[in-house]
Amino acid sequence: MTPHDIADIQTLSSQEQRVLNRISGQTDRFRDSHARAFTILDGFEGTRPTIDVERALYFTQSFRQTEGQPLVLRWAKALHHIAENITVSIDDNQLLAGRIGKPGRYGILYPELDGDFLGQAVREMPHRIGAPFGISEQDARIVEAEIAPYWKGRTYHEALNMALPPDIHKFTYDAPEGLVSRFIVNETSSFRSSIQWVHDYEKVLKRGFGDIQREAQARLDALDPLSPRDEVEKKPFLEAVVLVSGAIILWAHRHAALARKLARNESDPRRRQELDDIAGICERVPEHPARTFHEAVQSQWFTQMFSRLEQKTGTIISNGRMDQYFYPYYRADIDAGGITDERVLELIECMWVGMAQFVDLYISPTGGAFNEGYAHWEAVTIGGQTREGRDATNELTYLFLKSKQEFPLHYPDLAARIHSRSPERFLREVAETIKEGSGFPKLINDEEVVPLYVSKGASFGEAYDYAVSGCAEARMPNRDTYTSGGAYINFAAALEMALFDGRMLKFGERRLGAATGDPRSFRSWEEMWNAYLTQQLLFCKTAFTQQYIVCGLRARHFAQPMGSALHDLCMEHCLDLHTPQIPGGINLGYFECIGFGTVVDSLAAIRKLVFEEQRVSMAELIEALRTDFAGQAPLRLLLRSAPCYGNNDPYADEIAREIDRAFLEYSRKYSRELGIHNDIRYVPFTSHVPFGKVVSATPNGRHAFTPLADGSSASHGADVNGPTAILLSNYATKNYGYRERAARLLNIKLTPKCVEGEAGTRKLANFIRTFCDLKLWHVQFNVVNRDTLLAAQREPDKYRNLIVRIAGYSAYFVDLSPDLQNDLIARTAHGSL
Amino acid sequence: MTALARRKDGSPTGIVFNVQRYSLHDGEGIRTLVFLKGCTLRCRWCGNPESQRRKPEIARNVRRCLGIETCSYCTGVCTEGALRLPAAGAPAIDRNNCTACGACAAKCPALALHLYGTRRSASEVLDEVETDWPFYVRSGGGMTLSGGEPLAQEEFALALLREAKRRHIDAAVETCGLVPWETLAAAAELSGAIYFDIKAIDADRHIAWTGGNNRAILSNLERLADAFPRLAVTVRTPVIPGFNDDEAEIGAILSFLARLPSVSFELLPYHRLGSEKYRFLDRRDEMSDQALPTERFDALAAFAAERRRLTGRSSLNVHIAEKSSEIPAAPALLAEPGVAAGYIGALGGC
Repeated sequence: MTPHDIADIQTLSSQEQRVLNRISGQTDRFRDSHARAFTILDGFEGTRPTIDVERALYFTQSFRQTEGQPLVLRWAKALHHIAENITVSIDDNQLLAGRIGKPGRYGILYPELDGDFLGQAVREMPHRIGAPFGISEQDARIVEAEIAPYWKGRTYHEALNMALPPDIHKFTYDAPEGLVSRFIVNETSSFRSSIQWVHDYEKVLKRGFGDIQREAQARLDALDPLSPRDEVEKKPFLEAVVLVSGAIILWAHRHAALARKLARNESDPRRRQELDDIAGICERVPEHPARTFHEAVQSQWFTQMFSRLEQKTGTIISNGRMDQYFYPYYRADIDAGGITDERVLELIECMWVGMAQFVDLYISPTGGAFNEGYAHWEAVTIGGQTREGRDATNELTYLFLKSKQEFPLHYPDLAARIHSRSPERFLREVAETIKEGSGFPKLINDEEVVPLYVSKGASFGEAYDYAVSGCAEARMPNRDTYTSGGAYINFAAALEMALFDGRMLKFGERRLGAATGDPRSFRSWEEMWNAYLTQQLLFCKTAFTQQYIVCGLRARHFAQPMGSALHDLCMEHCLDLHTPQIPGGINLGYFECIGFGTVVDSLAAIRKLVFEEQRVSMAELIEALRTDFAGQAPLRLLLRSAPCYGNNDPYADEIAREIDRAFLEYSRKYSRELGIHNDIRYVPFTSHVPFGKVVSATPNGRHAFTPLADGSSASHGADVNGPTAILLSNYATKNYGYRERAARLLNIKLTPKCVEGEAGTRKLANFIRTFCDLKLWHVQFNVVNRDTLLAAQREPDKYRNLIVRIAGYSAYFVDLSPDLQNDLIARTAHGSL
Repeated sequence: MTALARRKDGSPTGIVFNVQRYSLHDGEGIRTLVFLKGCTLRCRWCGNPESQRRKPEIARNVRRCLGIETCSYCTGVCTEGALRLPAAGAPAIDRNNCTACGACAAKCPALALHLYGTRRSASEVLDEVETDWPFYVRSGGGMTLSGGEPLAQEEFALALLREAKRRHIDAAVETCGLVPWETLAAAAELSGAIYFDIKAIDADRHIAWTGGNNRAILSNLERLADAFPRLAVTVRTPVIPGFNDDEAEIGAILSFLARLPSVSFELLPYHRLGSEKYRFLDRRDEMSDQALPTERFDALAAFAAERRRLTGRSSLNVHIAEKSSEIPAAPALLAEPGVAAGYIGALGGC
């Protein structure tokens, strides 16, 4: 046994205890109080998802019929065709109607996006490491015969691939067809139609699609009959809104009819009553305003499911501020005595298990590598502030936390908004939930987000009302108007190019980057720094050029009539949300920097050991990197002993801040050419693993082709001063004087021991208060023993329900590739004794 | 006692062998532990052998050494002839000639050689401690002096406490109690909490196992409780097999404490996490084969709780502590890949 075992193994997180109990055959202690959700979960937990082709098939059928028409109208017609034909189902035991794929876990296809991968994908997906999907032979044939051929030459991905100039293309894709990423400056817009999105669900609950449809019809009737602009622009948009509103109502009514039919054939009187109730609710919502909590939940559920049919939203549509927009229905039902907290939990957990069965399917290998473990970010936002800037927590907030503590599921992603006046009860219960150990909730800081969004043009009310979306972003559902996925920059690759005069060992003698000279001829740190900066700026230019093209291209490929119908500005101007510029909108885009810690630590090692102390010669260093430190173990260790990011060490942190500043300056200068905010973000998903696979050994002692540091977290094992130093390093390396900054993802791994008991909860809550004081954007925790992860690697069958935090989402540990599992194990665990 | 070196700015200096941030079990809130070198006792079970001597010492971790056949960074570094380089494997240290100048440790890339103890000024130490102030204000944390016996470096320890006070940082002290009363009183004046070790009441056994007479220790505790009735004083007793792991000895301690109503009490479980550090210092760990069954500890804890209850003291005062202030004396030296500082510890105050 290692000392670690001795010191820590006796303290287990609740999740670890639950897993061990399950291994020893004990029943979950919360099973009885969450019986319905557990029963449904039993039916699909640990199973391989399958691909369902219906959405793609009906979408394609409709598109064949509508060529040449306005895109938004074509989209609405396609959705109507889907609503009429797609299989509708109501699962056993479920209180909510509706799923959009086969029983169990399923994924659906969006051929308009990246259909050129379809042929390859249906054959490879079942065998993919990391996140495999199954597909029946019959469905594979449908894809090959009825779906893929139509999209040949019509997909967004193909158009983008052709539109990229050669100098940009060489950093983006490996070969002319653009099927394989280069993992240097990666585009992500081709594996999502829309960047993550949050709908204004409150609008659906309060008005219903019937009212939205009436509004569109009335405005259609009122168009100027002589106006060419009304004819060309407004008319198709409004017709699309009428059509799509009708489509979702029709779809809901088909569920009502099914529920009636099932009820007639049901022998169990209790279930028959439930089915009759479902039928009544589906006849009512989402067409009309919701009247009860149950109706509100069903209405929201239909809306988010239909949104998934509408387009691929990266990565899954978010749920918005659920504790706010459901609250009036909760309050009214509780006051009227019509519902109990147990029933409320049962209903929302019916939604959780419904969400958990929809798995976002990335058919391109790059999309898969970026989003391992069936990534998903359907964030439910809780806490935060009201539009007036008052604390917004309520009884529902606490019920969502309770659900996470008692019902072990990694859906939905849960995001807690923290602010300077968050009640102590909220922080303590957040801390208790974090201690459970499956990574929930992630924390987003109002004190950073709100003023930043105001500086970017939002009103205070809008900024206070933001909803967490995706990995770590914040959205204002009626003000945000930007939908394009942004570029991911591998800036460890920029470092490698600075060390090899524009070349990377992985790609041979071809010079990809700028010719910045042989570093062996550099006489000063400044020369080294400038060489690095030159490569970094070239990458920035590449990323922004990609985005320039993406912004112009996307409106010709995508429309989202339902999402637009729920957006104030789109309705006002009769413009689809994919339109590049919508009057009054704020375009919050971002680009992503991957490998921050790796690059900072490497530059710190070069500066200190090569230029300042001259303990290592540049020639020696270059040779060691070229050979991946073969026979150079002492040198490698020496490099690792240099100052590292994440230790609150001013030496490393100053370099980090300068790197960040260079990005910000670039963004400040060139974002305006794109007409958007293209801000810098440090959020990796799981891309630090594939990005690491193209970068050879780095001067921080990292071995060739191993993962890069993730997000704004420290390099693996480099953070030896504990979590307070990690937060302070993050603070020290931010440039608060620039508004061009955006999310920074921060992972902290704690041992269960150091948050044990009441004192542990209190100290974790205090730690979160300081996180809030420091105006950091995001933090999330894994509370797990290293030995548990190692045991899960050895015996995956026993640990198939072990949930871990990845990068803004949680996933089953056993669903991850071995690379990512090792990456997670290698993240420093902070104990405290 | 050697004259206290001072920095040019007048700031007193002392020998510190570690500063450990994010410590959660040694006082209120999130704290930073400052470990001062030197101790007035020589407990057989000491979990911090590197803390005992005042002077700096070189630690040598053979497991981390790459071997002289692979790595030659330490060749020719030692000017005292104290680093013996073999043909293969790890170098040996001639402890008689080693002056602990740290030159070899500074060169070692593997951190196999590490210097325990560097001379630092009070303001330098507080500069480092103060970096975590955003966490102290939210958690009620601060600085905790540990050791060794931190008050053995009397002037330096008090300078640290004064500097903390000047910067409005809460301070706590862990002490073995064997220090002049005036020193303890001065420290208490500057501290928000004192953690005070009582190992045994039996005087002969105390001398035999710790090398120190407990009369002054017990007297100091009584005077402390008397002179500072509002100060948070916590008595800690490490349960050591063969020494005090019986109801008689723990009962004697509790009887003694019954007269001191303001004092709370903690039992610390026995462990051997510091065992490896004896090897780092080429010393023998006399207790290496000793173990304390969990049931024994639990029984003593239950016994203590019951006794405290019967003597009219709130049972809440009996706190079964975590391993207190256990921190790696040299994090990098000991940490395994992927495991940060925090698994092999120095035992503060016992």
